[in-house]
Amino acid sequence: MRILCCLDGTNTKQVSHAAQMFSTAEPLTIGLLTVIDAGPRRDMDRTRERFWRPPLRHGPLTDEMQDAERAVSEEILKTALCDLPRAETLLRQGLPELEIVNAAADWRADVVLICARAEYGEPPHIGPRSVGHVARFVLDHAPCPVLLLRPLAGEQFPIRR
Amino acid sequence: MFLFFPLSEFWRTLLASIIGLLTLAAIMTRPFRWSEARIAMAGAGALLLLGLIRPADAARTLLRDWNTFLFFLGMMGLSALAETAGLFDWLAAEAARFARQSAARLFLNVFLLGTLITMIFSNDATALILTPVVYVLVTRLRLPVLPYLFACTFIADSASFLLPISNPINVIIMSRFPLDLQTFLRLLFLPSLVVIAINLGIFYLLYRSQLKGTFDIDHLPTAEKAVKHKAYFRYTLWVLALVAPSYVIASAFQFPLSVVAVAGGLLLLLGALFWKRTTLREAGKAISWPIFGFIAGMFVVVRAIEDTGLTLKLGKLLLHLSGGTSFGAVMVGTFGSALGTNLINNVPMAVVMNSSLGSIQHAAPAIRNGFVAATMFGCDLGPNLTTVGSLATILWLLILRQRDVDVSGLDYFKVGVVVTPLMLLAGALTIWLCL
Repeated sequence: MRILCCLDGTNTKQVSHAAQMFSTAEPLTIGLLTVIDAGPRRDMDRTRERFWRPPLRHGPLTDEMQDAERAVSEEILKTALCDLPRAETLLRQGLPELEIVNAAADWRADVVLICARAEYGEPPHIGPRSVGHVARFVLDHAPCPVLLLRPLAGEQFPIRR
Repeated sequence: MFLFFPLSEFWRTLLASIIGLLTLAAIMTRPFRWSEARIAMAGAGALLLLGLIRPADAARTLLRDWNTFLFFLGMMGLSALAETAGLFDWLAAEAARFARQSAARLFLNVFLLGTLITMIFSNDATALILTPVVYVLVTRLRLPVLPYLFACTFIADSASFLLPISNPINVIIMSRFPLDLQTFLRLLFLPSLVVIAINLGIFYLLYRSQLKGTFDIDHLPTAEKAVKHKAYFRYTLWVLALVAPSYVIASAFQFPLSVVAVAGGLLLLLGALFWKRTTLREAGKAISWPIFGFIAGMFVVVRAIEDTGLTLKLGKLLLHLSGGTSFGAVMVGTFGSALGTNLINNVPMAVVMNSSLGSIQHAAPAIRNGFVAATMFGCDLGPNLTTVGSLATILWLLILRQRDVDVSGLDYFKVGVVVTPLMLLAGALTIWLCL
């Protein structure tokens, strides 16, 4: 079984824990995927265009941005490898939702593990808009089953009718 | 050409108007992905070739606006050379240190830093240099990137009317309608504060859940690391400490701001060459030369339209719409300019408004000042509605969205639509109260 785990820097523990639940599957191959989001750079290029400047392609600023993105991505993968030491790592760059579904197809994943959305310190949220745009796109377009991971939020139940 | 083939006034007016409007429409839609500079130059070239504007008149128009050209040059030079010194990286690192590990406090500090940089270096520096610097910082700190990028992009426009030098648009408009510093501050300083406060407040509300976290101080780059060359960095600080008050003094005495900007840029260039932090070639590359072609083209095109009396009619229409009241002048000026900037970009809109407002020269001072301040305000803040481009860009992004691809540029538009009308309304009301 080939399990593709999508990491966003805030969900390493959650994804690792879920992947370990498949440990009885034999043979088991785990892939750890992180995507460097190209969206912010594209937006910065659009802003530059508004100020009649060419896109940032070379130069110290671009180098710094690349270094920061790569360093963070590698650290995310390194952290996840501590929990899943035999996993394969995949690093991609582009729109996260597209890269995830394309990686799932290329890597021939049997299942994709993805969190509902990145969590930056806020309490888990259940309800409308609790699935972010990346997870929603993956659910709609993945070439294989998708396991949507959510934080435990039992205290938000029962839901009032 | 037509200079040699006499044409009736009617045909000259019609041809000049068609070329002018086609140029503005092409700037709006950018056919074949042509740059705005190329389109503006082509429009101006066509008018000159067809004899619809005399070369002497075109040259006179450009020479009259020397202050604008030099200001753009000085402003770009100052920002680029300050960046070479590592000033923006250093300021961002300090902003993070003062945040004491709180994502929300860092967000506030980015807003304050953006305000400071816009005030001294103009909105150009905040949008183009601070944004990538902040992106690197928050990426390293493992914080959500988008709120901080929104903060930089929006504050670049929201803080654009704190001082006359905070946006080149102010210089363009004030070259035709000079305001002394006291009047400028009386009319626009308080609206600036109101707009910045609204911007900050709404962004806190929108991103409150993403800003609840903290960041690890170990990921924070040291401020010393940002400084690439200590002596040049110190020199840059001294030069800027000289330039900032000089701007204020120059504004107070209505001395050309471009002279201060270019002098500051030259001082930084001398220092950078002395400490071998740049070469003339590299410094030249940091300047966006097509901007000058774009502005020159626009000045010539609008001058030709002005000769047809079209812009004068627009000015009279604006005056009529204002109902001859200061309240109407501020509202029409603000929302008219803001709408225009989203259609044809803010520089062409400012040039068109400059020409149109010729007809308000003899209006009552409150109406005249209301129109001038509101035009600056609308042209400066208006781009926040479609901050990553014009309405044409947004339409293109909407088409992409229909293909099921998430388009982050649209996020800017969604936020802009929420926050900008509110800021425009509150700012315009404050200007009116300050009149």
